[in-house]
Amino acid sequence: MTATTVQRTVHAVGTTDGARLHATVSGSPQAPVTLVLAHGWTLSQASWDDVAAELAPDLAEGSVRLVRYDQRGHGRSTWGEVADDDVEIDLLGEDLATVLAALVPTGPVVLGGHSMGGMTIMALAAAHPDLIGERVRGVALVDTSAGRLATPPRTAAERLQQRLLPRVSSWAVAHSRRVDGWRRRVPPTAPRHQALVRGLLYGSAATDAMVLRGAEIMSASSVRSFAAFYPALGRHDKAQALAALRAVPAEVLVGETDKLTPVRHAERLAAALPDAHLQVVPDCGHMLPQERPDLVAAAIRRLLEPW
Amino acid sequence: MTSTIESQPQSDQQTRHVRVAVIGSGFAGLGMAIRLRAQGVEDLVVLERGDDVGGTWRDNTYPGAACDVQSNLYSFSFAPNPEWPRTYSEQPEILAYLQDVARRFDVLRHHVFGAEVTEARWDAAAARWQVRTSAGDFSAQVLISAAGALADPSYPDIPGIEDFAGTVMHSARWDADHDLTGERVAVVGTGASAIQVVPSIQPVAGSVTVYQRTPPWVIPRGDRPTTAFERALYRRVPLVQKAVRGVLYAAREFLAVGITKDPRFLAPVQKLARTHLERQVRDPQLRATLTPDYTIGCKRILISNDWYPAVTAPNAEVVNAGIAEIRPHSVVTRDGVERPTDTLVLATGFHVTDLPIAHRITGRGGRTLAEVWADGMTTNRGSTVAGFPNLFLLVGPNVGVGHTSMVYMIESQIGYVSKAVQAMDDEGLATLETTQAAQDDYRALVAERSAGTVWLEGGCGSWYLDEHGHNTTLWPDFTFRFRRLTRTLDRQNYVGTTADAREQVPA
Repeated sequence: MTATTVQRTVHAVGTTDGARLHATVSGSPQAPVTLVLAHGWTLSQASWDDVAAELAPDLAEGSVRLVRYDQRGHGRSTWGEVADDDVEIDLLGEDLATVLAALVPTGPVVLGGHSMGGMTIMALAAAHPDLIGERVRGVALVDTSAGRLATPPRTAAERLQQRLLPRVSSWAVAHSRRVDGWRRRVPPTAPRHQALVRGLLYGSAATDAMVLRGAEIMSASSVRSFAAFYPALGRHDKAQALAALRAVPAEVLVGETDKLTPVRHAERLAAALPDAHLQVVPDCGHMLPQERPDLVAAAIRRLLEPW
Repeated sequence: MTSTIESQPQSDQQTRHVRVAVIGSGFAGLGMAIRLRAQGVEDLVVLERGDDVGGTWRDNTYPGAACDVQSNLYSFSFAPNPEWPRTYSEQPEILAYLQDVARRFDVLRHHVFGAEVTEARWDAAAARWQVRTSAGDFSAQVLISAAGALADPSYPDIPGIEDFAGTVMHSARWDADHDLTGERVAVVGTGASAIQVVPSIQPVAGSVTVYQRTPPWVIPRGDRPTTAFERALYRRVPLVQKAVRGVLYAAREFLAVGITKDPRFLAPVQKLARTHLERQVRDPQLRATLTPDYTIGCKRILISNDWYPAVTAPNAEVVNAGIAEIRPHSVVTRDGVERPTDTLVLATGFHVTDLPIAHRITGRGGRTLAEVWADGMTTNRGSTVAGFPNLFLLVGPNVGVGHTSMVYMIESQIGYVSKAVQAMDDEGLATLETTQAAQDDYRALVAERSAGTVWLEGGCGSWYLDEHGHNTTLWPDFTFRFRRLTRTLDRQNYVGTTADAREQVPA
């Protein structure tokens, strides 16, 4: 006989345009609060595994219920009817609202978002300010940004790059099978692959195991999720919408050497959210949920504390 | 025409006397009855516990049930079917084929349905088998068990399973009236049945959790609807279908080289399976869960294009933590995770190495077949057992195949048994019984051929091996070698007696 057990269910949450979002719910349905985690670009809910492991005792004792889901076009979630050109972070905000309505229709909610997942939360706040404070009682924004990610091109080469990118993207999506073939030739286990991932995403303190795990999760992403969301990230601008989030406690975390959403983005978030608690984590990059799951979990616990 | 069964003189009201009784009406039983009739044995009864012919193909009605062998090969050589709708047929088509064959060859009138054999006892004095069934008693000179190996569902022994409050279904005992729409379904097992049933129920179920012990190797299924042209061609020029059948047979026999001779020849097949997995499963964790750690062929090679897409669907999950217990409304795995569950689908296979029919057949000296087989199932040519005169087994020990059509093996055995029955006729024998020496020789042959097969060397446990780790289920060589072995009756391996009990030695 197993002494303590933790409940777990899987769900395919349908969106109005026919996408099916893969969600995993762990913990007791009677838990007083639900934590919903949104992952980053070209990742999947697996990128929260280490944070979830940190929170396992809380789940086991029934003090919190955890919802992880794959964002549209990521992990096991499907694309729905949306055309690549219409892909916006706002759509992900609506998806989060759909997940909440389907899986957490009542009770207090704490949201956690990593990178694009943080932007998803901002998009939700922008479109559904009524939810913030009323249902959403806290937000953890990890390695993320409220906008101005795309820098205007300065050199001729950069201008050319910007002009060609859409065409390269659509070609890659159209020929994704071939591109995937190339990707398979340099698998996550290849030193070259890991060096690239480490350089771009991880800080100096990251272990090889962390890098491999992240590389593996990203290798599962599709060419289309890479290509379709890249421009959407550049267009993401939720500086105004942050006002809605002022109603709730916020935890803002960023790795000191984050190259994708550098520290200044986190500082801007903290400036817009006066009550936010900002942590800049030394020797870490853009992958705090894997690099320092303990710190991320501790921040989340502070948000969960009232319950 | 009146039934030959009813026209028999009867010693008492209950017992019907027949020359030959066949147990089971699947491919083996039907084929046997057809062959016996063809050689003039009309005094024949087929005892079928169900209410229709078809055997395994009648019982396995779960959604998605289909055959892993091309229909052009998985059919009787004497009854080609030009109308197969697909390369690989599904259960309803195969069942319809068997029903049609039974009708066409006029063997239905020999059937007694609802006749489950509860006991078959050798009566030495009368030199007959006394057979008790749920539809009355029979006495037969010759008893042929065509009960099959994939006949009796095997239920897992999981703590608490009897207290489960939701619906429990074995894949081989499917309840079509039970609606799975929106339900949280647990599927136990990842064998041939599971990989067919999961893709069929995943789209309608709320969620599907697959509890896996060992992942199977899965290769692509080259299935397509047959064209009208093909069907017309097969109808008009039967030789073409015969040729296709021959090509399919030969191609599959090449697999036997890797499976039974040298597993190194399986490397390209394993590569194919690995690529299939990598193409269809992107998630590295799930991919690791689904990657077998044994050589392909050690367990049955499965073919499917929709298994991996089904288990990577948004509402699906593969769990390999092992089931610790079942509670009234949930399944608990050893890692302490409890999954609320509405319906439990047991795709847990069949009693293969412990055939239930063996407990019901009692031979000379009052020992059951199961008792005689306690140390492993041994036979002469998979068909006869010393101590069990006038008993013949179809689809018995070491007759199974993993790489090609079972029907080919069945037809080999049917030919063998029919020749034994013919020999009894020709020599006027009352009994025919194989010798222990022949059985020992055959066991040695099977053991020698099994050594080096991927089933023993591939690093896996499977239903192919019995509890002692011996191969007692599969034929460990090319199937044409089995046919050669069974082409004629090895009369020297048998002792026959006439009615006045004089031993007949072969001339």
